[in-house]
Amino acid sequence: MGERGTSHSVTVEVNGEKVSRIVAARQLLVHFLRDTLGLTGTHIGCDTGNCGACSVIVDGKLVKSCMILAPQADGATIETVESLAQDGALSPLQESFHEHHGLQCGYCTPGMLMSATYLLRQNPEPTDEEIRRGIRGNVCRCTGYVNIVEAIREASRGQATERRSVQATAGEEV
Amino acid sequence: MLLEQVEYVRPESVGDALEILASDEGAAPLAGGQSLVNVLKNRVASVDVLVDISRLAELSSIARTADGGLSIGACVTYDALDRSPEVRASHWMLGEVAAHIEDQQIRNKGTIGGNCCLSDPTNNLPPILVALGAVMELRSRTGERSVPAVDFFKGYFATALEPGELLVSVTVPPIPEHSGAGYASLAVGADAKALVRAAARVTLDGSGATIADSCLVLARVAHVPVRDAEAEARLNGADATEEAVRAACAGVADGMQPIADVHGSSEYRRQMAKVTARRAVVQAIAAARGSRNGSTAGGK
Ligand SMILES: Cc1cc2nc3c(=O)[nH]c(=O)nc-3n(C[C@H](O)[C@H](O)[C@H](O)COP(=O)(O)OP(=O)(O)OC[C@H]3O[C@@H](n4cnc5c(N)ncnc54)[C@H](O)[C@@H]3O)c2cc1C
Ligand code: FES
Ligand code: FES
Repeated sequence: MGERGTSHSVTVEVNGEKVSRIVAARQLLVHFLRDTLGLTGTHIGCDTGNCGACSVIVDGKLVKSCMILAPQADGATIETVESLAQDGALSPLQESFHEHHGLQCGYCTPGMLMSATYLLRQNPEPTDEEIRRGIRGNVCRCTGYVNIVEAIREASRGQATERRSVQATAGEEV
Repeated sequence: MLLEQVEYVRPESVGDALEILASDEGAAPLAGGQSLVNVLKNRVASVDVLVDISRLAELSSIARTADGGLSIGACVTYDALDRSPEVRASHWMLGEVAAHIEDQQIRNKGTIGGNCCLSDPTNNLPPILVALGAVMELRSRTGERSVPAVDFFKGYFATALEPGELLVSVTVPPIPEHSGAGYASLAVGADAKALVRAAARVTLDGSGATIADSCLVLARVAHVPVRDAEAEARLNGADATEEAVRAACAGVADGMQPIADVHGSSEYRRQMAKVTARRAVVQAIAAARGSRNGSTAGGK
């Protein structure tokens, strides 16, 4: 049985990097990411599980990090918004948010990007309705969602075109 | 938010979890945490030690029972219910209800056990489990017992669970032949919390023309899901047509005193209960005829 106590040793892999820390049992994962690890890309909004600003991917599952205690994540692989850009270059999804004006104040954006990343992994070519359901747990007070949906739709088309051209190339080789 | 000081432990077996729950009055199981973490933030209940049961393999599987029903571990998430081929094959509507709980993040964490043990009257799964005749399998350090879902929900945030007891699984009996389930909600937005819900299970006679047996469950009318026995009596023997169902559902909730709150008055709930009940029964009839029921589609 794991040790019982008010503090726990937690080892996680965050954005490809393994980290170990001693945390208080009562620490929320969102505070572990932001305050303990300094990964402030993950935002905290409502702190009640309603707004989705704190969404991250834990062991492949999209979750709200304000609704999880840090010790619960022990052993997990965590992806935050900081994992999306590679070497300073925005990911195609992030580019699409930029291109289609999918953000204004940016408060909801890290959560939106993680929800959209998860959605596109599960469903690479979602319909608009599937996109809206995919970001249902993410509240945006600025954009009215239209441009966010467009940004995700266009990013998925970009992925699809890329996939088809890869398949076509693979096909030619056969 | 900073929670009150609390201990956390992740036992390696259900037995270990039961030991801690039995020996410490201030211990509480932590499943998906999608309600309990907020409870801790609000400090409405104080917990000394959180017993994390969410990773216990014993509580996380979905198995087919010998009679063709389902045995669902307490820590199976809504998302797992939604995506389970077993659930979809035999109890399509249960997967569908799970698929429409709030949002993807909550579906990835929230568990069937937590949804039931909290007994929040707005929770989605209790009414469908009552309609399907589910049985809650409880275990404590000293023994095991089975409680029908209809008796498990005792009141506003109250269940039949005794201190130190854990819900380990939910047994859902097979859906009989010529039977189907329906579920309807009056909600403000898609997948939102509902003002009134109704869940129904009907069995048609061999010809498919008449309702032979029915179970009609209303939620958000009382603090727990309730069966409307009078409406069931009117449905049994009625034609399996929309008009006959409408007539049988005209008196739904008439003998009840629906709750009133900021979302709706008692009378509004009574009227809406009739509408949601009719929709659920009509859906159940369509399912019983075989489009997507659980008795003839996929499963067999
Ligand atoms: C913003 C938001 C909106 C939501 N909207 C909805 C909604 O519309 N519909 C809906 O159905 N739900 C909704 N939920 C609640 C969610 O479904 C919760 O997941 C559920 O109420 C509790 O399940 P859990 O697994 O998260 O349990 P936890 O939060 O871990 O536990 C809940 C309670 O049950 C006890 N418990 C848990 N498992 C067991 C067990 N196996 N045996 C004994 N006791 C146990 C715990 O000790 C605790 O008291 C919402 C949650 C949030 C944050
Ligand atoms: S901060 Fe976590 S859901 Fe709003
Ligand atoms: S961009 Fe401001 S909340 Fe979404």
